[in-house]
Amino acid sequence: MKRFYIIGFACLLLFDTLGQTGFKFSALNAKPLDYSLEWVVRILSNKWIYLTTLSYIGAFFTWMVLLKKAPVGPAFAASRLQIVSVMLVSIFIFNEPLTLTRALGAVVIISGIIFLAIAEKKLSMKQ
Amino acid sequence: MAFVLHVIKYSPIKMTLSIFALWLCSVCCDTVGQIAFKYAAVAPKNQKNWHYWLALLSSYWLWIGISAYAIGFLFWIAFLTLLPLSQAILLGSANIISVMIVGSLVFKEQLTPYRVIGVSLITIGVILVGIG
Repeated sequence: MKRFYIIGFACLLLFDTLGQTGFKFSALNAKPLDYSLEWVVRILSNKWIYLTTLSYIGAFFTWMVLLKKAPVGPAFAASRLQIVSVMLVSIFIFNEPLTLTRALGAVVIISGIIFLAIAEKKLSMKQ
Repeated sequence: MAFVLHVIKYSPIKMTLSIFALWLCSVCCDTVGQIAFKYAAVAPKNQKNWHYWLALLSSYWLWIGISAYAIGFLFWIAFLTLLPLSQAILLGSANIISVMIVGSLVFKEQLTPYRVIGVSLITIGVILVGIG
């Protein structure tokens, strides 16, 4: 059960992060933004939008596999870990600034996930 | 909650009502979507490999979930046009709490103290990163 959750959430995190990063790269490569057919063609003629699409499909299937066993409430909360990973990508790849509030938020999210992991351990020990 | 009261106190009532309605619709759509996905995931019983995925893709719960997300996306975009992103994330993260509550009501998921603390911390963290 433990391995199922770790592998499942790791895959979900990877797909979600790739998806968001792909969206950003698609947007950057399609610049300048002008609501025209050329802009849409620029998006569709770049490899990033296809990586994004594949990532979203991957994330969807991973989520459905996780939901077969995971409780939807805690799992939905745990899937927000992608906010931390996307934040790291935005800092290291896109050079966006790291503020104190955002760093604190990331730490709080991770500590919440640790609490959820302890909750699952306690529940599985009871059964 | 304090923020919602602040908005109600200081802005024209019409604007407030439309923000509130869009927020409520958006959170409801997310919640219905996740509950439907959970139903879809557990519905095909005793099925393995591609039989499972076939049963899943033909389950109406899955399509209710996907529709809820598509509609919720539109509400969220509309909501974002009325509020700055940081305030929108503050209100929008209510979906984490609502999925937990509805999930416990519908699927008898236990709300143990550790789970409630964990989900609350994640909600606070998401808000902090959003305010950034």
